[in-house]
Amino acid sequence: MSDRIVLDNVSRFYGEVLGVNRVTLSVPPGITSLVGPNGSGKTTLMNLITGLVRPTRGEIQVLGISPADPEKLFRVCGYATQFDSFPRGMTGFQFISSYLRLSGMPYEDCQRTTAFAIGRVNLGDAAHRKIAGYSKGMRQRIKLAQAIAHDPRVLVLDEPLNGLDPLVRAETIALFREFAAEGRHVIVSSHILHEVDTISDQVILLSNGYVVAEGQIRGVREEMSEHPMQVIIRCTRANVLASRVFEQDHVVEVRLHADGGGLLVKTRDADRFYRALNHLALDGVGIESVAPADDNVNSLYEYLIGGEESTR
Amino acid sequence: MTQQWLSQIGLVIRLEMRKTFFSRRGIWVYLLALAPVLIFLGHSFSEISNRKVRQAMNAAHPVSTETLRAIERGATIEEVMEKVGEPFAKVEFHRPRASFDIYQYTDGDSVYVFAFQNNRLENIDRRDRDTIPKDSLIFAGVFQFFFLRLAIFFGCVGVFTNLFRGEMLDKSLHFYLLTPIRREVLAIGKYLAGLIATVVIFCTSTFLQLAALSVHFTGSEISEYLAGPGWGHVASYLGVTAAACLGYGSIFLAAGLLFKNPIIPAASVLVWEGMNIFLPAALKKVSVIFYLQSLSPVVAPPDASMPALEKLLVTAAEPVSAPWAILGLLAVTIVILAVAARKARKLEINYSTD
Repeated sequence: MSDRIVLDNVSRFYGEVLGVNRVTLSVPPGITSLVGPNGSGKTTLMNLITGLVRPTRGEIQVLGISPADPEKLFRVCGYATQFDSFPRGMTGFQFISSYLRLSGMPYEDCQRTTAFAIGRVNLGDAAHRKIAGYSKGMRQRIKLAQAIAHDPRVLVLDEPLNGLDPLVRAETIALFREFAAEGRHVIVSSHILHEVDTISDQVILLSNGYVVAEGQIRGVREEMSEHPMQVIIRCTRANVLASRVFEQDHVVEVRLHADGGGLLVKTRDADRFYRALNHLALDGVGIESVAPADDNVNSLYEYLIGGEESTR
Repeated sequence: MTQQWLSQIGLVIRLEMRKTFFSRRGIWVYLLALAPVLIFLGHSFSEISNRKVRQAMNAAHPVSTETLRAIERGATIEEVMEKVGEPFAKVEFHRPRASFDIYQYTDGDSVYVFAFQNNRLENIDRRDRDTIPKDSLIFAGVFQFFFLRLAIFFGCVGVFTNLFRGEMLDKSLHFYLLTPIRREVLAIGKYLAGLIATVVIFCTSTFLQLAALSVHFTGSEISEYLAGPGWGHVASYLGVTAAACLGYGSIFLAAGLLFKNPIIPAASVLVWEGMNIFLPAALKKVSVIFYLQSLSPVVAPPDASMPALEKLLVTAAEPVSAPWAILGLLAVTIVILAVAARKARKLEINYSTD
């Protein structure tokens, strides 16, 4: 059996709208990031790999298995989609265990495996609560638990770090690394270059449905440091956090949200900013969510891939 | 592999069952199932109330059945009153050239309406209390023209189109598609879940309708009926109800998979099933209602209000025998389920356009 995910000249159109076009890739094990602005084709590519959509042209093999054969594919593959909706009325535990039961796992094993998967994403306390009452971060984690529950060799994760607070984000990245270290595939999508640059073994850059670059992208960090990055933080005591954040020399601007429940930070060194934020989070400020502001990332992204696009 | 598919079908049924029975979207399915029960309960209570009134009237104006039946047309008011006494209700009205008198008598069971014109008995209208054969015809009419064609039809629209389409609207269908389950197995599991739910809901309704209709009969009347064709009728009606869910369920499962807006195909099927009586005999067989009517134990009386021109268009097709009706219905169901399973195999998740 092949240990690669292979896409051979794959195109997908939605009517006349392009999803992805002429994508040819051979993805080795490790952490692979799909990066691109909104609408660049990241989700389409992930849906193609997992068989949720079919290619208009071309062929896909995941470790030698066709995505058109879900019976085989989802024994080796787990997918956390970006859709933020769940079957109604289920607790986190029921959600994972019913998924495992459908995979054919015996009841006793299923209970044990569910508890283990939920424990891995640190959601044990909320396991028996209804998912409808979960926060955004908890919903992200329960999706991740579902994707890893059956111990897949290929993990496909669509924007998995969205809505996670800094501590959970660090734990989640550690989980990806653990999977990758065992020789598995972890495919992560993001529109945040900085985020994936720090965790990826390789990066695939997408733009308007085309793969514009792939491989290790050195120097992205340097490029990024020249372009301030905007981060939106929702938290308690936003004014206290604002004053502390502004003490950092790489922070160029801080703006409080009108409702006093958050702030927008502009920094020239995202790495240092996130490290500092972890300390501040431990220092009595309740951070609910951290998310980069899209527009700025998109403009940075366009800057980075501009040369590639112009050569196409 | 077959064992695994069966186990997966069982699990899908369990997961779907709660959604199907307890979803808010399904409330109107219960209302549709309950409506005929309420109609028949109302009919029974009305009959009980009428009987009490008749018995009270007969006690106040006692007259025997034989005496009332002995009255013949042509008698004068005085002659009638001499034989049967004062009526319990009397209406008089006068025109320039004629006078009309309506006298009502009861023997406790039936009501006799004597219509006099110019003091002569012109017409006798006897309104007997409801009997089981009479109510069987009423039930057959309601069952075939309301329950099968509308209640079960729309109930199946609500339950079966939601099995896939509802989850697409909720954006939660992909969780099934992320499991190692054949899409065809998923479609069959969902269909069986919907079938179990609709069979339970509508067969319960059928049974309650029959029970509601029998409330106003005496124990001995019911025992006599059950000792005759009664249990056979009950079993047949329950079977036809289940068969309707089987047939319509497959159609609307396929509609939920094939169409973004299943209301349009549902309306088309409704028209097709509705015009079944006008179709040539060969086309009649490409419908669910034809087989259901063939299986019904009592033939519904023709609609007396149908215009003569429409009656000319009605084509008669000999009902097929029960085994052929069941086979025909199964054939229609299997063909439609095969189409649905084929569509399920190629199902894509594209919520933004759904």
